[in-house]
Amino acid sequence: MTHPKVRKQHFKTVKEIVKRANGKVVCSACIMGLGQFLYRQWAKGILYLLIQIAAICFFVFVGAEAIAGFFTLGTIESNAWYGIEGDNSVIMMLMGILAFIVLAIYLYFYYANIKDAYAMQCAVEQGKKPRTLKDEMRSMLDDKFYKTALFVPIIGVCIFNVLPIVFMILIAFTNYGPDVKPPVLIDWKGFESFIKVLTLGQFAPTFFKILLWNIVWAVLSTALNYFCGLGIALLYNKKCVRGKAFWRMFPILAYAVPGFITLLGFKFMFSYGGPINQMIVEAGGKAIGFLDLDAKWSARGIGLVVNCWLNIPSSMLLATGILSNMNRDLYEAAKIDGASAFKQFTAITLPFVVFATTPILISQFIANFNNFGIFYFLRGGGLIADGYFLASDTDLLINWLYNLSISNDYYSIGAAISIIIFLFTSAVSLAVYVLSPSYRQEDTYQ
Amino acid sequence: MNKFITAFSVHMAVILALIVSIGTVATLSKTQGEGAEKFTGELERNVTIRILENDTAIKQGYLKELLDAFNEAYAEYGIVAEDANMDQYSDLENDGPYGKGPDVLYQPNDQLMRYVPDRHILPLPVEELDCYEAVGQAAWDAYYTKVGANEYYFGVPVNVQGPLLYYRKDLLPENWQEEWDENDNEIPDMVESWNKLYEFSLERRQGNEKFGYMRSFLEPYFSVGYLYSYGGYSFGNNNTDPTDIGYSAGEAEKGGWVIRQLASAMNEWCIDDTITVNAYSKLGDGSYFATMTTPDVYTMFIDEMMKNGMTRAEAEENLVTAPIPMLPKSGDLTEEDPELIPSKMMGGVNGYAISSYTKAPNACLAFVDFATNYEMIKRRNELLGIAPARADVAQEIGGLSEVIQNNLEEGNIVIMPSIRENAQMWTPLQTLFTDLAKDPFRDADEMKYDSLDKIKAALERVDQQVYDAIHTLK
Amino acid sequence: MKHIKIRHTVDTVITYIIILAISLVFLFPILWLLLASFSRSGSLYSFDGFFPTEYSLDSFKKLFTDTALYNYPRWFGNTLFVASMSCLFGTALTILTAYCMSRYRFKSRKALMKTTLVLGMFPSFMAMTAVYLLMTQFNLINSHWGLILIYSAGAPMGYMTQKGFFDTIPKSIDEAARIDGATNAQVFLRITLPLASPMIVYTLLSSFVWPWSDFILPQLLLKEKDLYTVAVGLMSLGDDEFARFAAGSMFIGVPIIVMYFALSKFLISGLSAGAVKD
Repeated sequence: MTHPKVRKQHFKTVKEIVKRANGKVVCSACIMGLGQFLYRQWAKGILYLLIQIAAICFFVFVGAEAIAGFFTLGTIESNAWYGIEGDNSVIMMLMGILAFIVLAIYLYFYYANIKDAYAMQCAVEQGKKPRTLKDEMRSMLDDKFYKTALFVPIIGVCIFNVLPIVFMILIAFTNYGPDVKPPVLIDWKGFESFIKVLTLGQFAPTFFKILLWNIVWAVLSTALNYFCGLGIALLYNKKCVRGKAFWRMFPILAYAVPGFITLLGFKFMFSYGGPINQMIVEAGGKAIGFLDLDAKWSARGIGLVVNCWLNIPSSMLLATGILSNMNRDLYEAAKIDGASAFKQFTAITLPFVVFATTPILISQFIANFNNFGIFYFLRGGGLIADGYFLASDTDLLINWLYNLSISNDYYSIGAAISIIIFLFTSAVSLAVYVLSPSYRQEDTYQ
Repeated sequence: MNKFITAFSVHMAVILALIVSIGTVATLSKTQGEGAEKFTGELERNVTIRILENDTAIKQGYLKELLDAFNEAYAEYGIVAEDANMDQYSDLENDGPYGKGPDVLYQPNDQLMRYVPDRHILPLPVEELDCYEAVGQAAWDAYYTKVGANEYYFGVPVNVQGPLLYYRKDLLPENWQEEWDENDNEIPDMVESWNKLYEFSLERRQGNEKFGYMRSFLEPYFSVGYLYSYGGYSFGNNNTDPTDIGYSAGEAEKGGWVIRQLASAMNEWCIDDTITVNAYSKLGDGSYFATMTTPDVYTMFIDEMMKNGMTRAEAEENLVTAPIPMLPKSGDLTEEDPELIPSKMMGGVNGYAISSYTKAPNACLAFVDFATNYEMIKRRNELLGIAPARADVAQEIGGLSEVIQNNLEEGNIVIMPSIRENAQMWTPLQTLFTDLAKDPFRDADEMKYDSLDKIKAALERVDQQVYDAIHTLK
Repeated sequence: MKHIKIRHTVDTVITYIIILAISLVFLFPILWLLLASFSRSGSLYSFDGFFPTEYSLDSFKKLFTDTALYNYPRWFGNTLFVASMSCLFGTALTILTAYCMSRYRFKSRKALMKTTLVLGMFPSFMAMTAVYLLMTQFNLINSHWGLILIYSAGAPMGYMTQKGFFDTIPKSIDEAARIDGATNAQVFLRITLPLASPMIVYTLLSSFVWPWSDFILPQLLLKEKDLYTVAVGLMSLGDDEFARFAAGSMFIGVPIIVMYFALSKFLISGLSAGAVKD
């Protein structure tokens, strides 16, 4: 993933260190901080030494066992009837991954320690003073401020986002399923789940049908949400509108009530006994099954509309925030040039907003692609359509995945499918993202 | 290069040496725990046990009474039972192993028995319990399983859940004794036979204002009984063999036909869950004459009837609960003087089980024993209106409790399968039932189930779907 | 001149008509829910058309007094605590991340950007099992702090929106301050942050709304009913409790509306500054 040029430079430093390092630097490689001591950088030396001691303690008491457990996934089966406390395979896998993360962090510090010692060597050779801890700290608040600022977020994301995802990916290579789950011991099974998924006859037709609908859904709903949100924001921004905060409150109302509540409300409205059908019947019509088994397209349409209702408010808020940051002078200039309102919109507003929101557009696309709640709540999630394997015709891939893995406990199969979906969606959105102007020309407005 | 490799090796060697040496010491000091029988009969002292009960028991104050009585009786041992304060359906499999689960659980049999294969609940020495003799074999069977060569019981039955017919006596035709009581047994015919109920429903129907029998078909729990009545079953070998799925077995298609006919006497509300939610208020205001549901919601109908101007006494006088009517052997609800067969309905046995992760199994057993004794079960019935599994209590209170008890013993209440694969049956069945219920409302040329053969084919498809859901991914 | 004025009036009228229509579309379901919560019968299906036939305050009274089984006031307090804490930590982390990604050019930056984009694509519920197991190991089951930790830690994943915003703030402003001798940390605190106030408001709101209305995570991690958040609590209500459900849903919206009004002047601060120039 790293840029080739950066990587090359990286190797150059490593090579240089190996070739030119003196004994003091090697001492640092032996015991962290030793080289720093020899250069009389006591504070840094103690810091690195402490890191090493902490790491050793961690690996001796927890880490080594956790890493071993990662490979065996447990050897003693527990039997709660007789109070035998055995191994819990999933916990062992999780703690194993955690230990690997700690190991990676440790190795990073180990490398930093050698690099630091080498930097001291260079400084001394050039007759300068080595950088002290105080210098480093000052730099952490200035040119390396990003390191300080990103430290907490990155650790947090690693533990609560990356770790669970790695865990789920690894589950695909085990036999974790309805009959094999703790306290039963789980085993590594290689690509067995993938082979099962790819060779199952019932599987492919359902997969492609759902995938197609899922793409249509994601594109349509993202476009609708985005443009409606932007449109409303622009409307409320018009000069002639008085009491902007008041008008804006109405969409905020929709934002204020949790989605699942309004979804349940909408489900009721469109049900056979709901108010809409009541009015149709009173007017002499026949009750319409908006969301029932046969209602493929009307259910899909209602899903789109309801999703708009739920998501436009946040697009609107966002667009309002972004518009407020626009350079007004451009409009003044345009006005003087006699540009029409429409021209102003296409030439100034749209490029600016699109630039600022492409990443959001992508993340909204992803959110819509993986929109679990909408059809789960609207249609109750309890129908199987003709020609589908354990799915209904409005289900998105994520609903299907839920049916397979959570409702039916097929974890390893579910994980395998989610990896396949994941590879597909991430490739597409990554491509879009990398090609987008807000990625390639980040500095346009800076 | 060399010096770095040496340095790195030294660095790693130090760490590894430390790990190995300290690790060995740690392993030596850890001894393998030997399994021991948990029910020693010796009560643990000064322990607190957490009880998971259902919401109705908490709402109606039964749990508080039970806990108070138990805590008083066992005060000398210092045993305190308290409300686990958790969701009534919470899954022991998720909570128990991590020490967050309750010690004693009250849940339906299918949910409790799902904990067995992975040993989350303990096999119980049920012969020692006060209720052992009093509870019938059919109820015990819901908690029976064989593990290897050993036979075990994993739960203690408290009450039997089975559907009942609820109807409004005051909405019967004035002359029902002459017109609607052909066998002169003082029970209206329309609550004895589905044919008559169907006939009455058609007669009573006025647009979307007035209906006879109303019940959503969406929920398999209430609809699958029609299939059972004509020979269908969930799993072979007494609901224990997940490779044999038999919703289409026997003449189950006749059950599907009955559903389709009943739906035609209702309106579109029977397709989704509209009726499930509005049954209380609609029966309360007299729009519906009858519906089918479980015994524990009795008070909700009474509340609704009182909102419509009745006094409590009037409401209790006019709301009648009855056993499910008989079905025609032919499956044709329009038949005059049909040969009748009993309705089989799906039911369940709710009961207590003890978590394997409890620190005080003997105290828990004492609690279960206490909670299932004669007085407590009787009190439970008084407060919650449940049908007790204890035959002695059921006999004494008589009425519906006895009817349900007999239905269970005669096999007309089919206990929900206790095997894990049971979870796979709901979605395919629900889809079929909603489709069947919709059929009468389709235009004539779009009808999917206008003959028994078509229903049979659909049932066979359901069998296949359930089978696939269980087996294809294994 | 008159002609322009007429056109202006027509434009204004049309604008207002559209605004009214939009307001109605958003108001109607909420109004319906609100009126349902005042329904006397408590059941939705006894309504005549969209609205209940009889009104009463019973559901609200029950909501706050009948707390034996459904302790709504307590759930409300829990949710308020969890959401405000996660909102504060989450916003701080998100803004910080977005700022760094927008203003600094360091070697692993592009890789980080692509990785976070890709990570967001993974179906989140699949990872829930792992989160649950992790929390059992940290002993954070049945703890509000556990929830706050997860919400705050996950928040920076959504930094893209904020980064897009920072990308539109001209760098010349920073550079001027740097020449005056400010460090990067000072530039961030004294110059960039005040400029970004609309985006901060948006972030505050959205990182408040997420924990406020989420029910998957609290349902997973909170086992004791007394610790429930409102969303989990409402989901646990019985079928027959629709009026109470609706009443509970109404109150859930109040803090967000209040927050919106308290913050709306920051949200449009940039706009009004622009308007002054006209």
